[in-house]
Amino acid sequence: MTGKLRLTVFLLSLFAFVASCILISCEGDNDKIDYKPTPFTFPTLPDFPSKMNIPKDNPMTVEGVELGRHLFYDGRLSGRTHPDSLMSCATCHIQSKAFEVGIDHPRFSGGHPRGIPSIEYPEGKPTPHMMLPVVNVVFNNSGYMWNGFLESSNNATSMPGYDFTGVEDLNFRNLEAFTYMAIVAEHEMRGSIAKTVAAIESDPMYREMFRKAFGTEEITADKISKAISQFVRSIISYRSRYHKWLRNEAELTESELRGHDLFFSEDADCFHCHGGTALLTSFEYFNNAKDAAFNDSRDRHSITKNLWDIGAYRAPSLINIELTGPYMHDGRFKTLDEVIDFYSEGLVYSPYVHPLMKFVHDGGVRLTDDEKADLKAFLLTLTDHELLTDPKYAAPEAIRQWLAH
Amino acid sequence: MSKPVLSAFALIATFLLVSCDDSNDPQTGRIEFTFHHEVDGEPVIFNEMRYANAAGNQYEITEVQWFISDVALVTKNGAEVSLYKDGFAHYIDTNIPETAMWKPSDRLPAGNYPAIKFTFGLKGEKNQPGTFPDLPESNMIWPYPMGGDNGGYHYMKLNGFWMNTSEQRMPFNFHLGVGQVYDAEDKVVEFVQNWFEVILPADINIQDDKTTGVHLFMNIESWFDTPVVYDHNNFGGMVMKNQEAMGIIAQNGKDAFEARVQIISN
Repeated sequence: MTGKLRLTVFLLSLFAFVASCILISCEGDNDKIDYKPTPFTFPTLPDFPSKMNIPKDNPMTVEGVELGRHLFYDGRLSGRTHPDSLMSCATCHIQSKAFEVGIDHPRFSGGHPRGIPSIEYPEGKPTPHMMLPVVNVVFNNSGYMWNGFLESSNNATSMPGYDFTGVEDLNFRNLEAFTYMAIVAEHEMRGSIAKTVAAIESDPMYREMFRKAFGTEEITADKISKAISQFVRSIISYRSRYHKWLRNEAELTESELRGHDLFFSEDADCFHCHGGTALLTSFEYFNNAKDAAFNDSRDRHSITKNLWDIGAYRAPSLINIELTGPYMHDGRFKTLDEVIDFYSEGLVYSPYVHPLMKFVHDGGVRLTDDEKADLKAFLLTLTDHELLTDPKYAAPEAIRQWLAH
Repeated sequence: MSKPVLSAFALIATFLLVSCDDSNDPQTGRIEFTFHHEVDGEPVIFNEMRYANAAGNQYEITEVQWFISDVALVTKNGAEVSLYKDGFAHYIDTNIPETAMWKPSDRLPAGNYPAIKFTFGLKGEKNQPGTFPDLPESNMIWPYPMGGDNGGYHYMKLNGFWMNTSEQRMPFNFHLGVGQVYDAEDKVVEFVQNWFEVILPADINIQDDKTTGVHLFMNIESWFDTPVVYDHNNFGGMVMKNQEAMGIIAQNGKDAFEARVQIISN
């Protein structure tokens, strides 16, 4: 560095120092005078990714996560108060089902969620795709949804058929947009942003919670979405027997170990798409040879326009896979046995199949019955039973009481 | 740390920096790599069945993902100047265009370097699980049943399709990593390291306060010939459990690389 350049850098730094001192001395925002949120911390997880997807404009705090937990479970998120019209995130993302709806749900038959009923859809409009897990999403830096619609490169500022009036700085780059989409989508809450904000404002409890989380009592759509996103990001699943085995805290049976080795072998070849030691997903998109013809307007191709992405979808995390049926983007398989049979004998060739489906011309990897049993035994070790009852992810008492009234 | 403390720290650090006498600073420059993938001297056109290898297999390429590691410039005397400040390896993925550029933060002594040296893949002692916890590198995992100890990472995934003798478009996963030797009961009795070192003549001239660009080419057709003609019909679509195939790939790959140099103005 030349002497002249260094002098310039020094003078600029001096200016920045003086300016920052002046700026700090002028901070007199009385609304935020006792706004001291506590940074949220995650447990140390050696086998998990180190990069977390936490936007700079929505840092996680204990208070933000707690507010988000209340909103996540609050049926007034639908903008309604009549008991028959309440819907929250937790209506479909049920803790005991690993935050999916569960295949045995009394209202959403076959595990296929539906929106709030309307005249056109008396049973509620079904969602275009099945659900994806909302656990460990903080580790996903590669876009959300089956087709990756919500990703950092998405420059869209509107969606046909969706009315986002009331949302400032609308973008579809991260989890925050999910809340907006859920509120207005016909196949979810079928509401409006304004009514949701009004419904949440109507409960005095929230004013103090918003102040603690964001520094002011003002309730906005932006803060609602940020708080819910914080809570969702806080949901991590790391206490399955498989995870404990990785940490040398538990043993697997002989059959489970054989299933593990099959999973991570060329013979069953699950790991190329469901790789990543802790999450068992590559977060990538594959045409996995389910079909020979394609007509879904929401596949990966709809995002990238690449021909080879026709019929391609996200390879989901297999953590808690026992509870997250039905399987595939369209829920065509009801059980894990059906899924294993599909990969063993049911593959179908198309010009768009991903080359990692290298046994496609044999119909699949051709597992024996014993191998299928071992593979299933391993997949069942991925269930995190502690997640399903962990109080920090459960419905808050205040929301339970409100619902009881 | 509060803003005033941070600012004060920055101010003091800057002052100390400025106060240093720079009259004896060694002359240093930087290097910038651009990675290219070609077939028969032309950039790869992906997802089109347009190539033929030495065995006569028609083939197409979907993606190429690989590690280059332990990169060093070699002096006239044979000494090596390593690039290490950003880690020992760089990952290249044709699905992620930004990985085709790599500008290490190392500052290299100015001078002439007649060759560049690197490892294709990852040397055994560095190929350890958990080295790359995050995407995209973490998707290169090479499981322990096929890699020994606790596994490691693929050196390369070259995925695509070839046309077999029945005119079927067959997927291939030309994956290279730690190989295995199996006994009659299909138990692994030995692991084989398939990484290899490459030394390329490059005539790299590092100049003070300038960046020298090195264009590194992978000639994909070379994986399928010299010294051994590789026929997809012999080995099928997968090779991770086939050391014979991986051994041929490792032999063939040693002449698959080429470097070209340019000076980039800062």
